[in-house]
Amino acid sequence: MGGIYALVAVGLNLIYGTMRLLNIAHGEIIMIGAYVAYWLFTAYGVSPFLSLLISSFVTIVIGLIICKVIFLPMIRSGKSEESIQSNSLLLFFAISIILTNVVILIWTADIRGYSYLTGVVQILNVPVMLNRLNAFLVACVICIVAYIFLQKTMLGKAIRALIQDRTAAKLVGINSDRLYLVSFMMAFGIAGLTGALLSMIYELSPFMGFPYTITAFVVIVLGGLGNVLGSLIAGFIFGFVETVGISVTSPGLQSIISYGVFIGVILYRPKGIFGKGL
Amino acid sequence: MALLECQEVTKNFGGLMAVMNVSLQLEKGEIVGLIGANGAGKTTLFNLISGFYPPTNGSIRFEGDEIAGLKTHDICRKGLVRTFQIVRPFHNMTVWDNVMVGALFGVQKCKNVSRAKEEAMKVLEFTGLHEKKEIPAKGLTIADRKRLEVARSLATKPKLLLLDEVLAGLTSTETTEAMKLVRRIRDEMGLTIFMVEHVMKAVMGLSDRIVVLHNGEKIAEGNAEEVSKNPAVIEAYLGEKLHM
Amino acid sequence: MTTSRLGKYLSGLGLLGLVIFLCVIPFHSTDYIVSVLLDILTWIGLTESWIILSGFTGYISLGHSAFFGIGAYVMAISWLKLPYPLIILISAASSMALAFAIGFPVLRVRGPYFVILTLGLSEFAKYIFINYEVNVKGTVGRIMLGVPNIRTLYFSLLIIAIVTILCAYLIKRSRFGYGLFSIREDEDAAESLGIDTSIYKWLAFGISAFFPGAIGATMALRRTYIDPYSVFDPIVSFQIIVMAFFGGMGRLHGPVLGACILTLISEFLWARYPHYYLIILGVILVFIVKFMPSGILGIFELFGKAGKIVKFVRRK
Repeated sequence: MGGIYALVAVGLNLIYGTMRLLNIAHGEIIMIGAYVAYWLFTAYGVSPFLSLLISSFVTIVIGLIICKVIFLPMIRSGKSEESIQSNSLLLFFAISIILTNVVILIWTADIRGYSYLTGVVQILNVPVMLNRLNAFLVACVICIVAYIFLQKTMLGKAIRALIQDRTAAKLVGINSDRLYLVSFMMAFGIAGLTGALLSMIYELSPFMGFPYTITAFVVIVLGGLGNVLGSLIAGFIFGFVETVGISVTSPGLQSIISYGVFIGVILYRPKGIFGKGL
Repeated sequence: MALLECQEVTKNFGGLMAVMNVSLQLEKGEIVGLIGANGAGKTTLFNLISGFYPPTNGSIRFEGDEIAGLKTHDICRKGLVRTFQIVRPFHNMTVWDNVMVGALFGVQKCKNVSRAKEEAMKVLEFTGLHEKKEIPAKGLTIADRKRLEVARSLATKPKLLLLDEVLAGLTSTETTEAMKLVRRIRDEMGLTIFMVEHVMKAVMGLSDRIVVLHNGEKIAEGNAEEVSKNPAVIEAYLGEKLHM
Repeated sequence: MTTSRLGKYLSGLGLLGLVIFLCVIPFHSTDYIVSVLLDILTWIGLTESWIILSGFTGYISLGHSAFFGIGAYVMAISWLKLPYPLIILISAASSMALAFAIGFPVLRVRGPYFVILTLGLSEFAKYIFINYEVNVKGTVGRIMLGVPNIRTLYFSLLIIAIVTILCAYLIKRSRFGYGLFSIREDEDAAESLGIDTSIYKWLAFGISAFFPGAIGATMALRRTYIDPYSVFDPIVSFQIIVMAFFGGMGRLHGPVLGACILTLISEFLWARYPHYYLIILGVILVFIVKFMPSGILGIFELFGKAGKIVKFVRRK
């Protein structure tokens, strides 16, 4: 689970770090990814591994459209930072509702799922389902890839520069608009992929997205807003803690604890374990 | 008793000493200028005096009462108000409404809106904005916005007015107009004025006294002539021309 | 009498006429029409009360549904133990009390963080109620029997809606209102002019929570069955926002307009295509936020203000 959270957090953090926008539709993007994978598998028998790529592709395209049509013009309009942030939040909220209901229209609100890789494997005397192990491995791989990308490649470095100081980055000639688009698409792509991974393990519902958004938010604050590495690590830790926590307390409390933590985090705005504050 | 008294005021931002042991006094009816290079701590000092954040050390007294640590709105009610370096009008409200807010919540705390409107009208006439009273603030030129900012502050009926670079960005004519207004505020309304300014001709021309800050410390104080001849000041401003 | 005074008299008369009309109509129309009007009044009340906080201070809240839910629950718990108008008042007071209790820390958060915080709070409340109902009571929903008939509920809601609008109107013209607007325009500047922003925001928050409490209580009676999922539904908050933005928040009749139009649209769509309705709302919100942040009324006002500026420029 930690791997999943890490992925989700990275996606959210990319958009926040570069554009300072809070994408509360992130969970819904994941949900879309999950549904695409589901559909591909059940309708066409496509291997979920392949649908990892296809789901990502679909969500990347969605991200591209949304970014270009909706957000870039807003950023260019030169309004105050806070009003852009607030407006974008509302926009993302609207998008999340639109997406949820579109999915309901296409696939109905019933819970869906499919089985894949349900064999069990023993690791250190703990039975682990193959599909979870698989998800974990994929998540790790992606995280490592993302990390390397951000550290080593030119594009990655440019993105990190943008996160650290937007104005300075623009001054040294970084094309912020293009990078915003790239970060946006990357974030959406990762989300789609996460969704596909999730579809292998859990049941799907059109409402599955939101809890992930909340968790992602908590993770990125704990890991340091804008600090991608921080959110990676924090994601893993949080996933671990949460799983342990659930087995100890009753599952009914899970949502309460989750939102309680969320509220606490916003109210007290810590600087995170690794990075800058809100 | 001095109107405003700062004693050993210090502000430490986690290691960065923005203001260090600054002591100064303002007497009623003075126009005092505060100059210094960028980053010398002028706006920080203003923020401290007006209550945006508390000083790390030192005391700030207004009319004998300690105001360090008080909230900004309480300080305003006592009669100390400031303008902002980058003007902050209420964009979507009319000029009249902007000034009216000052009258409603300042020292006089007008209880009803129509009385506040009358008070605001007087201030508008004083500052020459009465013809533009129905225009939303976002439709004003920069010079008028500065005037609006001053008018709004005047409506709170303060005793001490802190002007933060109110002349920045004005043309030569506008600057002369603004200087006249500042003088009128002191002469006709009896206010004390503490102004941060970079426009040297204005500071020299308007101030009774000048305080010079450098790297957070006060390095000189005196009238225009004394300050411009002070070697420490000249060294801090090396390369700057001081107009007399 | 000057023309503006005449205008004011006429619109006052018109309003009175409208109110009389609304009072009379339930006796001459079908239950269906009464229920539609009831829905419209509900949304008018919810939106106008939301405006008191979010429209006036600029602190956009996605948590209004929480107060609605609390009102509904207070009613469900106290039903048949007290006369129902009293319960409505108690529900409203409880909502307001809760808002006052959490107001100070919550309102220190600004901008978009406030928005998601309120959303989080609303969901938090929902799950607390779910947990309580499931663990302590055993079942999730509550039923109320022997509720008043629809026309009685209609009049209750009419009164609530009128009081809400009246309250918003009085605030808007008062010193308190100007303080709130200043906070919306520039909170720090407002503070520097002597406005105690913390207290003002807190008051607006509490006052705005009073009315959804009353409305929630009344609607609980109408639905006769409530559960946490339906009364703490974030979609309620969503609809409020869309209606407010759509109608325009500059004037008090903006949200009324928004509520009316969108409720009517939902009437046509809800029975068969509730999801289309929500998608349309979402699209409307995107559209409005991007192109018409002042809503429909804002477009009219734009013409008015443009006219004034043109006149001024001509005079010079």
